[in-house]
Amino acid sequence: MTAYLVRRFLLMILTLFGISVIIFVLLRIVPGNIVDILADAAGFVNPAEKARIEAELGLDKPIPVQYAKWIGGLTRGDLGFSYVSEKPALDEILPRIPITARLAAAALVFSILFGVPLGVISAVKQNTSLDYGLRVLSLTGLSMPAFWLGLLILMAFVSLTGTLPIYSAAPKSFIDSLIMYSVPAAAVGFRSSALIMRLTRSSMLEVLRQDFIRTARSKGASEKSVNYHHALRNAVLPVITIIGIEAAFLIGGLIVTETVFNIPGVARFLVEAIRWRDYPIVQNLVMFVALIVVVTNFLVDMAYTALDPRIRYSD
Amino acid sequence: MNKHTRIATRIALPAALLLAAFMSAGTAYAQKQGGVLKMYHRDSPASASIHEEATFSTVTPFMGIFNNLVMYKQDVAQNRMDTIVPDLATSWSWSPDNTKLTFKLREGIKWHDGKPFTAKDVKCTFDMVMDKSPTKFRKNPRKTWYDNVAEVSVNGDFEATFSLKRPQPAMLALLASGYTPVYPCHVSPADMRTKPTGTGPFKFVEFKTNESIKVTRNPDYWKKGRPYLEGIEYTIIPNRSTAILAFIAGKFDVTFPTEVSIPLLKDVKKQAPKAVCMVEPTNVSTNLIVNRDAPPFNNPEIRRAMALTLDRKAFVDILFEGQADIGGSMLPPPAGVWGMPAQMLATIPGYGTDKKKDRDEARSIMQKAGYGPAKRLSLKVSTRNIPIYRDPAVILIDQLKEIYIDGELDVVETANWFSKVARKDYTIGLNLTGSAVDDPDQNFYENYACGSERNYTNYCNRDLQKLFDQQSMESNFEARRKLVWEIDRKLQEDVARPIILHSRAGTCWQPQVKGMTIMINSSYNGYRYEDVWLDR
Amino acid sequence: MRAAAFDSELAKAGANVSSRWGAARFLARRYPLGAIGGVIMIVFLLTALLAGVVAPYDPLATNSAHSLAAPGTAHWMGADNFGRDVFSRILHGARISLAVGIGSTALGCFFGVILGLFSGYLGGWVDLLVQRLIDILQALPLLVLALVMAAALGPSIQNTIIAIAIPLIPTVARVIRANTLALRELPFIEAARAVGMGDLRIALSHVLPNTLAPLIVLATAQFGSAILTEAALSFLGLGIPEPFPSWGRMLSESAAEYVRTAPWLVIFPGLAISLVVFGTNLLGDAVRDLLDPRQRT
Repeated sequence: MTAYLVRRFLLMILTLFGISVIIFVLLRIVPGNIVDILADAAGFVNPAEKARIEAELGLDKPIPVQYAKWIGGLTRGDLGFSYVSEKPALDEILPRIPITARLAAAALVFSILFGVPLGVISAVKQNTSLDYGLRVLSLTGLSMPAFWLGLLILMAFVSLTGTLPIYSAAPKSFIDSLIMYSVPAAAVGFRSSALIMRLTRSSMLEVLRQDFIRTARSKGASEKSVNYHHALRNAVLPVITIIGIEAAFLIGGLIVTETVFNIPGVARFLVEAIRWRDYPIVQNLVMFVALIVVVTNFLVDMAYTALDPRIRYSD
Repeated sequence: MNKHTRIATRIALPAALLLAAFMSAGTAYAQKQGGVLKMYHRDSPASASIHEEATFSTVTPFMGIFNNLVMYKQDVAQNRMDTIVPDLATSWSWSPDNTKLTFKLREGIKWHDGKPFTAKDVKCTFDMVMDKSPTKFRKNPRKTWYDNVAEVSVNGDFEATFSLKRPQPAMLALLASGYTPVYPCHVSPADMRTKPTGTGPFKFVEFKTNESIKVTRNPDYWKKGRPYLEGIEYTIIPNRSTAILAFIAGKFDVTFPTEVSIPLLKDVKKQAPKAVCMVEPTNVSTNLIVNRDAPPFNNPEIRRAMALTLDRKAFVDILFEGQADIGGSMLPPPAGVWGMPAQMLATIPGYGTDKKKDRDEARSIMQKAGYGPAKRLSLKVSTRNIPIYRDPAVILIDQLKEIYIDGELDVVETANWFSKVARKDYTIGLNLTGSAVDDPDQNFYENYACGSERNYTNYCNRDLQKLFDQQSMESNFEARRKLVWEIDRKLQEDVARPIILHSRAGTCWQPQVKGMTIMINSSYNGYRYEDVWLDR
Repeated sequence: MRAAAFDSELAKAGANVSSRWGAARFLARRYPLGAIGGVIMIVFLLTALLAGVVAPYDPLATNSAHSLAAPGTAHWMGADNFGRDVFSRILHGARISLAVGIGSTALGCFFGVILGLFSGYLGGWVDLLVQRLIDILQALPLLVLALVMAAALGPSIQNTIIAIAIPLIPTVARVIRANTLALRELPFIEAARAVGMGDLRIALSHVLPNTLAPLIVLATAQFGSAILTEAALSFLGLGIPEPFPSWGRMLSESAAEYVRTAPWLVIFPGLAISLVVFGTNLLGDAVRDLLDPRQRT
């Protein structure tokens, strides 16, 4: 087990290294850099000025030198400076993380709150019209573009309440912040809740057919207790699986939702930084996202071993 | 657009002038101190340094931090030479030969950090803008404005003189623009980009990229009793529909100036009927840059055919529901001071009302050049990947079809646009040109002079260039305007940079916002906001 | 599962497999939701094929007189700000969605299969290398990768297809590799090896056909997500440029501006996307149940 952990850890580092190289090189071979964008704001390109600013930003050096400088800085906790705001990249990224984290957490809570119970109901009432209805609903969740749903929710919210859950840095009350996060969270979480529901349903069905449930039934456990106690406990795995799979997907949903609801989180910040070719922000943020995904997957695997005695890792 | 607003816009100029007069005279007793004005901002500006940017995304939130030497009177909607008023300068005077412009400066003014303002700051600012200072801006978009300035000199702490190479009365207009604040000597350009220091009515608080900009009242402002507002908060919302929904929901007092499109304006009118909305020209023209050095448009006849097929009215109807202006290079009257009169405009090829006749002529030109229904000309229409650029390009392509040209839209990312244009790697480009001040000097020298960096097509006409200088030195308004009309007509006949339309856009504010004036012939000069107040 | 076993499987389940029609009827009864999905997809395919014949207007023709016309007899789904007919644009947009869906799925599957097949079959350092590549691609969120790729390549249909295909590669490669690993140990592969067949030939003629079932399941699912990714890219201003009537582009920032004054510009393209993706999901579920009995619910 320890050997497996060490191996997994080393592979994680290797993966992150690979990502850092890919994103670094990819950004720099993309046509157009920050200087072109700055020149754009000035309305023309002046080659001499362009060269001067590139030298100022260190963009004139060979890519391996630039890369070494970045990684060297990273190991010292120095992420470099944003090309646009000229502030330390860390100061730009850090304050935005909690905003996105809250939104992601709210989306996750939303999706579990709806996904698990509906999945259980759907499994228990298998092949009834309720089951069909719920399955169609969950498929609908998987079929709608997240930003479109966000836009419709936004429109509906304004039409119904006459107000708008727009982001504010300091919400006046708990209710305010609840509304502020829950409406966009619903837009992001709809998809995940549909996935969780599907997986809960199928693993519930599998579990319900298994021996120990039959045993529980024969021992006289009530139908309700069987369904909600024994079976549900075994359906925790799919939820964890989804968290693993969705970690990478969620970022995509967050990007468009933060754009539609104007939430100044890291996801939208990343899109803006790509648009500006703000390399220090993009490369550090992508590394951060990759770290989250890799660590989540690692934890999910660990949770699997802990929760499911059938899975054992050998090495 | 309902009938009411349509009429309102048609009489925009006199109404705005009247309103301005009413605001400043009639309600002078009623202004209230206090309150934070909330406005949304259309995008995150690259920096806070006005001198380094060429967009009103920077000018709007940061103009209030600064003062100019002189400025356009903030409550008059039309910028003209006679609306220029003192600011940091108490007065100005021209030398008898009209080559020396001397400013007397206000005494006892302090920068926001407490250091005194002197004539040295004026010299520092303009030396830097003219690229004569050892400290450099990261970028310096308006250097060419001062090509005619030989030197800026100081005489004591409170007098500064601009020495010109030749007379240029319009120099004063350039100095009055929102683009021309006076910067402090003692603050580095880098600090001016991130946390600017000025002498103006508002002090910088914070600028969070993609999130918000905040400024607060300068309690030591030299103009007593100003500003009325306690501060201004700009929330950055790039998504227009989200921004308008938030305005309708009452989250903002003002929309970003001239950022409400005509269809969105309808929505505001319907959902927030109490809001005050103005639709005004922005002095931004939608135009075509044509590559004159490469086939097929190196043939003047084909350029002419293209000019003839342009149905400007269709552009105006589709993009602005009829509410935009057709004109030449200068903003057309009544909002514009220098634009050609309608009768003159109608005589230029392609501007006539009989589009069918124009297109018949265009088709026969194309046929002479060897094209026809069977042999169509294929080309790319390049433009930037931004809706206000893309949308007219879509219409252009549809109109080119009429004269056997199959255009394909070539959408270019912002990062690659100007290098592509500089490489001449395009056939036709759809372009937007904003004029900071409604003055021919700024427009002609920047966009049409031989060798100018913003003369993307390298249109170069030496005879016309002489006329540029002649109008620039002319101090008589009527005489100058006659010259400007001639130049503008020639530019259009030469298909130098065919102007499709001059756009208009809306600005809305809630009824409690008072003292707001939207300038009608510039998008860069009216954001000092020291006279704006909140009635609540 | 191989095609030969398919009919007997159906027969075992009680279907009348003497005619294709009978099999189809049986499948429709057995998988009613899948049948609905199939119908949606057939309509979608027909729309894409016949758009030029059916569409009442040229999807690119502007008309100032009909700018933002509401849905009515002239324009069933209204007109956009250019006066272009939304119905015609949606019909033509089916072609683009189809191209994006098929193009990126095929491209992603092609490279994913190659990587997965060789990494699984050859093992050793090839496997190790490919696994790392897959890890890397998988740790990069799909939309982020697509965003960077789209920014790098510039907006066009081909580039959008490539940008969407790249993130698909690791998913496909992983599934194929797992299957190949399992197959490698099976007797009939060993037999092929014993008679002296080369690695490449075994991989292509014996292993590949046997990974088709999971591949089809995966491809059906990816088809829908490709269409969704295209929509998100277009919404963010990357993706397929004007004037192509891509559904995602129709929903993009400029259309979102009219969400209240002309809601038909936002509702109909959104419905079109949702409906097609819904169809692929229904069909995908049925295909999975049919081809991959282990996951049958």
